[in-house]
Amino acid sequence: MTTTVMNRGNTVLVPAPAKAGGHVTIRPDDATLDAFAEELDALRAETMSKVGQKDADYIRRVIRWQRGLDMGGRVVMLVGFLSPLWWTGLFGVLMLAIAKILDNMEIGHNVMHGQYDWMNDPNINSRDFEWDNVGDANSWKRYHNHEHHTYTNIIGKDRDYGYGILRLSDDIAWRPRNLYQFFMYLKLSLLFEFGVAYHELAGERIFFGKKKKNSQLPISREELKQAFFRKIRRQTFKDYVFYPLLCFPVLVPVLLGNLAANLIRNLWTSTVIFCGHFTESAHTFRAEDCEQETRGQWYFRQILGSSNFEGPRWLHILSGHLSCQVEHHLFPDVPAYHYPEMAKTVEQICQRYGIPYNTGSFARQYWTVLQRIVRYSFPTRRELANA
Amino acid sequence: MTATHSQQGPALPAAGGIGRWLAETLTTRPSFSSYFAPFMQYWQPGWSTHAWRAAVMQIRSELSDVYSLVLKPDSRWAGFVAGQYVQLTVEKDGAFCTRTFSISSSPAHWQTTGLIELTIREQVGGRITPWLRQHLHANSVVNISAAQGEFTLQQVPEHRPLLLIAGGSGLTPLHSMLQQLSSEVSAREVHLLVYARDSQHFLFQQALLGYETSLSNLSIQWMDSEQVGFIDESHLQPLQRLLECDVFVCGPSPMIKAARDALRVLHVADERVHFEYFGAAPLDRVAQLDASRVVQFSRSQHVLDVAQASNQSLLEMAEQSGLNPVSGCRIGVCHQCICQKERGVVLNTRTGEYSDTGPEEIQLCLSVPVTDVVVSL
Ligand code: FES
Repeated sequence: MTTTVMNRGNTVLVPAPAKAGGHVTIRPDDATLDAFAEELDALRAETMSKVGQKDADYIRRVIRWQRGLDMGGRVVMLVGFLSPLWWTGLFGVLMLAIAKILDNMEIGHNVMHGQYDWMNDPNINSRDFEWDNVGDANSWKRYHNHEHHTYTNIIGKDRDYGYGILRLSDDIAWRPRNLYQFFMYLKLSLLFEFGVAYHELAGERIFFGKKKKNSQLPISREELKQAFFRKIRRQTFKDYVFYPLLCFPVLVPVLLGNLAANLIRNLWTSTVIFCGHFTESAHTFRAEDCEQETRGQWYFRQILGSSNFEGPRWLHILSGHLSCQVEHHLFPDVPAYHYPEMAKTVEQICQRYGIPYNTGSFARQYWTVLQRIVRYSFPTRRELANA
Repeated sequence: MTATHSQQGPALPAAGGIGRWLAETLTTRPSFSSYFAPFMQYWQPGWSTHAWRAAVMQIRSELSDVYSLVLKPDSRWAGFVAGQYVQLTVEKDGAFCTRTFSISSSPAHWQTTGLIELTIREQVGGRITPWLRQHLHANSVVNISAAQGEFTLQQVPEHRPLLLIAGGSGLTPLHSMLQQLSSEVSAREVHLLVYARDSQHFLFQQALLGYETSLSNLSIQWMDSEQVGFIDESHLQPLQRLLECDVFVCGPSPMIKAARDALRVLHVADERVHFEYFGAAPLDRVAQLDASRVVQFSRSQHVLDVAQASNQSLLEMAEQSGLNPVSGCRIGVCHQCICQKERGVVLNTRTGEYSDTGPEEIQLCLSVPVTDVVVSL
């Protein structure tokens, strides 16, 4: 699928057009993309010049809310379950779930992208942030920031694409097990934090399969394994041993409440992330697309591979501003709280350059995700004919 | 003024053992105090897990470009020895910025009043030193580290005479020593040589003259560089008991070098000479990568001379020195190569921005050293 054209006297390869659910988008020529990149760089510079005290105050405020909800939620659960109106304890469950969502999304994800490193705050920096889920933060940083953000939506390279479980594009050959992938999707969503935890180990084939060749793992396989189990042990101890025992008379309800909070967080984070990359018109790419990519080409690919959803302010915050997945992929280390503002400009720039900009309401975007999962459960006609 | 000293680890010890395990497990933070920090900071600005609070009591002008910050440190701050320095951290536009300053007042003064003073020269074009003077006011809160440094009179026996040589605002730690001696009313023989760029720039003139009453054997020589030039042997030769003296030199690095050379010529043993670099390190504004620079990896003790035109990243340099820092994408996306820079200016090759001069986190793969740089690797 590569064509050869003449360009400024040199022969260059033009990669296959990016695809999304049937429609293709041709990549603009280099000069256009360079100009495009310049405009985006200017937007980044303008935004970064505004970053300052307000951002520091904002992230600290979110952290206070998160900790307040974390502690408050556990207290409300205890008091509620103990009281005759036992169902009031459910508010505690909800509070705890929101605390975990804030911790993972608006705080953890963004801090670990280095968005707040400029603050020089020993408690708010990407180097030693740890979050409230079973995934080891260092492991996540290794594969997410590098693999997913560099090779976004490149089939075969970005293992975040379908997580090796779902077939979301016909670049991947259909297999019979894809028939029931909708159930796999539900399972993945519920257990999403374990997916996050296991992702790097799967890539390195720690437990199964042949050891990965030319692995770039900076720690030993043994250390990776240990970190994996350590984090799971700690989270389990906290939510299923320590706090339930502390609330002894209502041990079982509290244990179930904690479980529910974790599941709610899992469902929500997975939904947000699916809306960011697997909507109907999110494009996929091939490995050769990113070879010697210019900055403009990289921006182009990031935009095509991502999709936004719109909604009120609180929805942006609960999604960690991954509602602005496009902006996040363009500017991963700009404090996310600026994304909605930047999105307006990015959309205008894209319009001027005729580059598709994928956005819609949350409900609509999620609906297209579900459709996509179902559509690719089935083989293409050609595959059927060959079978 | 800024002393160019490598710093020791965090000011407060981290909780160990079971407490740490519990904190990490229950809060995902290394300590409970770090978990509660955002609340404490809200309630008490400047509260910190890594440093002490200090209230600004007064900002006093000393010279046109030199001022003193009068600080009242938190009562739990452990105190200091005359000649030591602290790291001062302020929050500027949401970012913590750290600079190192010698304490110019004495421990005796701190014991009676609870106050310490930092005497600071405004760097032309500097990011922090002019800002402090403009933005701090009485009742502002700043953070200070524990006092550090070996440049103290405790290093030498009490009975021997002292020769103190100060260049510019390098006088600050020496002033602390003199104030301390004067409060103890001592008959120790002390010779002080104060170098200033011209007669308008003699720091602490009134205070020093005042010490002559309580220090019966204090002699002060005011050396106006416009008149007498740089330090050389002829300035030291007249001192009668020079060979018995313990010598303390503090000032910019060329001055220290000149002083040491002169002392060597006069046969003063190297062990007798104590010195502290001042002011030479941070240049806040840098034009281009033309000077030769030294990169120091502090944990592994590797030192690297950087060729003049080199625009290699710190990551490549570290790897060339045989170190193996964690890295990933090598293009600034993955943030795995983040590392603490202790001091010096680096250029971020992606944004084209120059870093601050103090300690901060940098991405090794994007950072090219512009001045001498110390990285904790
Ligand atoms: S190696 Fe990836 S940011 Fe430096």
